[in-house]
Amino acid sequence: MSADTLRPWLKMQDLTFLRGDRTILKSVSLDIQPGELTLLTGQNGSGKTTLLRILAGLQKPQQVQFEFAGEQQKWRQSYRFLRDQICYLHQQPYLFDGSVSENIAYGLKRQRMGRQAIKAKVAEALEQISLEHLAQRNSRELSGGEKQRVAIARAWALAPRLMLLDEPVSNLDKRSRHICYDLINQLQQQKIGVIYTSHEPQAGHLKINRHLHLYEGEMTTKPLTNEKAAVVELVKGNPNQSRG
Amino acid sequence: METLSAASYQALYLLFSGDSALWTIIGISFSVSVRALIYAAPLAILTAFLLAYFSFPGRRLLVSIFNTALSIPAVVVGLTLYIMLSKAGPLGEWRLLFTQDAMILGQICLCFPLLVAMAHATLQSTDRRAWETALTLGASPVRALLTILHEARFGLIGALVAGFGRIIAEVGSSMMLGGNILNYTRNIPTAIALETSKGSFAEGIALGMVLLFMALFLNIALGQVQGKGAVSQ
Repeated sequence: MSADTLRPWLKMQDLTFLRGDRTILKSVSLDIQPGELTLLTGQNGSGKTTLLRILAGLQKPQQVQFEFAGEQQKWRQSYRFLRDQICYLHQQPYLFDGSVSENIAYGLKRQRMGRQAIKAKVAEALEQISLEHLAQRNSRELSGGEKQRVAIARAWALAPRLMLLDEPVSNLDKRSRHICYDLINQLQQQKIGVIYTSHEPQAGHLKINRHLHLYEGEMTTKPLTNEKAAVVELVKGNPNQSRG
Repeated sequence: METLSAASYQALYLLFSGDSALWTIIGISFSVSVRALIYAAPLAILTAFLLAYFSFPGRRLLVSIFNTALSIPAVVVGLTLYIMLSKAGPLGEWRLLFTQDAMILGQICLCFPLLVAMAHATLQSTDRRAWETALTLGASPVRALLTILHEARFGLIGALVAGFGRIIAEVGSSMMLGGNILNYTRNIPTAIALETSKGSFAEGIALGMVLLFMALFLNIALGQVQGKGAVSQ
């Protein structure tokens, strides 16, 4: 493994987030490696969603320090970079009013891609989620599982460095869950990092590289329990480093 | 009753015979009100968006002020602007009194609070995830705003229709600021008031019919648009 792959793509240090008098996140630090699949667990209200929203550049914390490629940045300089590089998916993803294709094309249009290139990318994304037959269907007519898949494809089409999935399977049936797990594993194969939150320690058939746990605003690293993870090379670094 | 039916018959004749004086009044009315709406709507919708999506000191007070402004009578707006635009007033140098621009200004003042209040109610009920989703998919804040407006378009169209209805039919402000000058500032409501005071009901009824048809048309169109919106939800 080269030194480059060992260096975290994104370092977040000393993150503190307060809501009123309540401390939601307390001096949380986190290193994110390229293409890493991280399971983030914690009880309801433990701050998982808040952490993801901060990482996605959508929520301003009271205190944080980011480091991209060795360069330290304050929030003011960071949030645009975070929004460019990271995609956040809500627990129940929001699809814009319009067809499935239009939804997937939304972010691509912002990247000023040509019409043909967008069309090709949309077709590729639909193939990825096996929903080619629903390309022209209005997004509001989709089932929960289909919506989740379209939202993943929409984010995937943008080739983000990191995708933040906020309890993506919590409202899905068994079959839809398996489809989503397969999709998430494919993201990892394509070197797209994923942080996957769950209030349960099990992560289905996901090939987890790292398991982090939030408890009362503090983060700890947990040993991997998923046996499938054994086939995946464990992410280097001091496991205690990510303790907040 | 006989007078009413005779006047109504004459009104229809005036409308369908293409009476130029009548259609000039209708043209002025629509021209002034559409321009007022076009000028007021962007800022009103932006204001509504800021009030709905961002928290800042005085936000609640602003919402209360706009809601209160909904009930200000047109004649009070007309009087206030009349004082300001009259020669001795602070804006007297603009020489706007008794012009279409003055009428437009009055109508902007009338429809602005209504547009803000209705657009605010619409935008406040939109799903916050839409805004965040747009941003996380790489949209600039301006692009994300346009996305939100698209998502809320049916409610916003309703606000525009209500705003238009408020100003096309108001008489107080237009009378005071426009002066009811024939072929220049005489619009439908001021013409109705004038014709009625002269006892010439036919023209008044004809103009009233235009307002009624317009209201009916706008409501049917709005119903159609919102019906499509409901289907796509």
